[in-house]
Amino acid sequence: MRWDEFKQHYLIKFWPPLPAIIAAGVLSAYYFGLTGTFWAVTGEFTRWGGHILQFLGFHPETWGYFKVIHLEGTPLDRIDGVMIIGMFAGCLSAALFANNVKLRVPHHRIRIVQAVVGGMIAGFGARLAMGCNLAAFFTGIPQFSLHAWFFALATAAGSWFGARVVMLPLFRIPVALVPVSKPSALSQDPVQAARRLRLGLGLFAAFALWAGVKTMSAPTLGLAAFCGLGFGLLIERAQICFTSAFRDLWLTGRTQMAKAIIIGMAVSALGTYSYTRLGVAPKIFWAGPNAVLGGVLFGFGIVLAGGCETGWMYRAVEGQVHYWWVGLGNILGATLLAALWDDIAPVLAKPYPMVNLLTVFGPQGGLIVTYLLLALAMAAVLFWERHFFARKAQSSSLAKEQA
Amino acid sequence: MTRTNSSPLPAPDFRLDMRGEPCPYPAMATLEALPRLRPGQVLEVVSDCPQSINNIPVDARNHGYEVLEIEQDGPTIRYLIRR
Repeated sequence: MRWDEFKQHYLIKFWPPLPAIIAAGVLSAYYFGLTGTFWAVTGEFTRWGGHILQFLGFHPETWGYFKVIHLEGTPLDRIDGVMIIGMFAGCLSAALFANNVKLRVPHHRIRIVQAVVGGMIAGFGARLAMGCNLAAFFTGIPQFSLHAWFFALATAAGSWFGARVVMLPLFRIPVALVPVSKPSALSQDPVQAARRLRLGLGLFAAFALWAGVKTMSAPTLGLAAFCGLGFGLLIERAQICFTSAFRDLWLTGRTQMAKAIIIGMAVSALGTYSYTRLGVAPKIFWAGPNAVLGGVLFGFGIVLAGGCETGWMYRAVEGQVHYWWVGLGNILGATLLAALWDDIAPVLAKPYPMVNLLTVFGPQGGLIVTYLLLALAMAAVLFWERHFFARKAQSSSLAKEQA
Repeated sequence: MTRTNSSPLPAPDFRLDMRGEPCPYPAMATLEALPRLRPGQVLEVVSDCPQSINNIPVDARNHGYEVLEIEQDGPTIRYLIRR
């Protein structure tokens, strides 16, 4: 393959989501084996909030929540920390490859309001449930933790409410349908595109080099950084969006992303299962009302904000200013939850068991139950798709009869 | 530039400029605009929301419209969709 073809097909054109999500599922299973933890981002964002509070003279390290998720060191000393830096590097390189970095400023104030408020609700809900679309869904379900199933169902419900709210007239900016006679002229600057591509390749290579050097002195951190680079590349190039997977079921009946995520989790689960059989302990959290309530808040918040934690990361580096606000909201909401945790946890989380499906049903039984539940989820998505379009066909034929 | 086919394309009859708007608004506005066209007319949607690549064309096809072209030009994506 010539360089021009490679560039066009892999560096510029967006990747199809299904293979990219399967790749993310495989990489997240490897990540679990390499680091002993799951691919997750909100916990680290909460620690950033903790560091900011420390800087302001507070002592969040004495709070119960930071005793659970730890606040030692700096992001550079933590697996999650270097992985997230890798994700940002991967996302930014990927966006630069395709000349897809552009300052996109929201045209209306209401977008900033929904970004911050939605981001806060999502950040709060995610940390209440001990995970976001990753730790309590995409990488939580393949950990065989029951709380992730509670969270996923609750997120679906919350996203339904969110989808109702974001379509309210308050959030709809009127767009004119303009009569035209010729296509609009698109013109990216080829010199800028070439320069951005070189910059992206340079950034990618520099980060990979840093991660390589780090791997020699601190293997787990270095490999986590490499994984982060890969995750970032995948989510930006394929525009993987967990929010749309939930939201667009309700809004447009689109199931492509939801199906891809279910398949990705099915692939990932077998990988994490093998590591647990080799003795790596899975990450299990409280399957209590905190996971349900957190999921509902999170599902609502991500739809209001327009993106979740992984979603705002790549959109922010693409220059979508809207998502800078979402990120800020996330960190604020997560930090608020950490501040309230010691009052909330004794009621909503800690009295409830941490349920590991591999323990409850035995290792093989837990794996089978997980695959049955994933098959059930896929069947529910297929059923919903048929129902959605059947209902639409019915209402449009009704409209024709009345006309 | 990325074209999905190279045959001559019909000129659009209407344009929806969604630049600056995040998801899900570009896809929703597209699905709301298309029924306002007469059958056979072509809508051009211009968006700088990269995520629209995974929703506008898929939704348009799912809802019974024909996607004639997807052109990715740096941060801007143009969709030509026929009712």
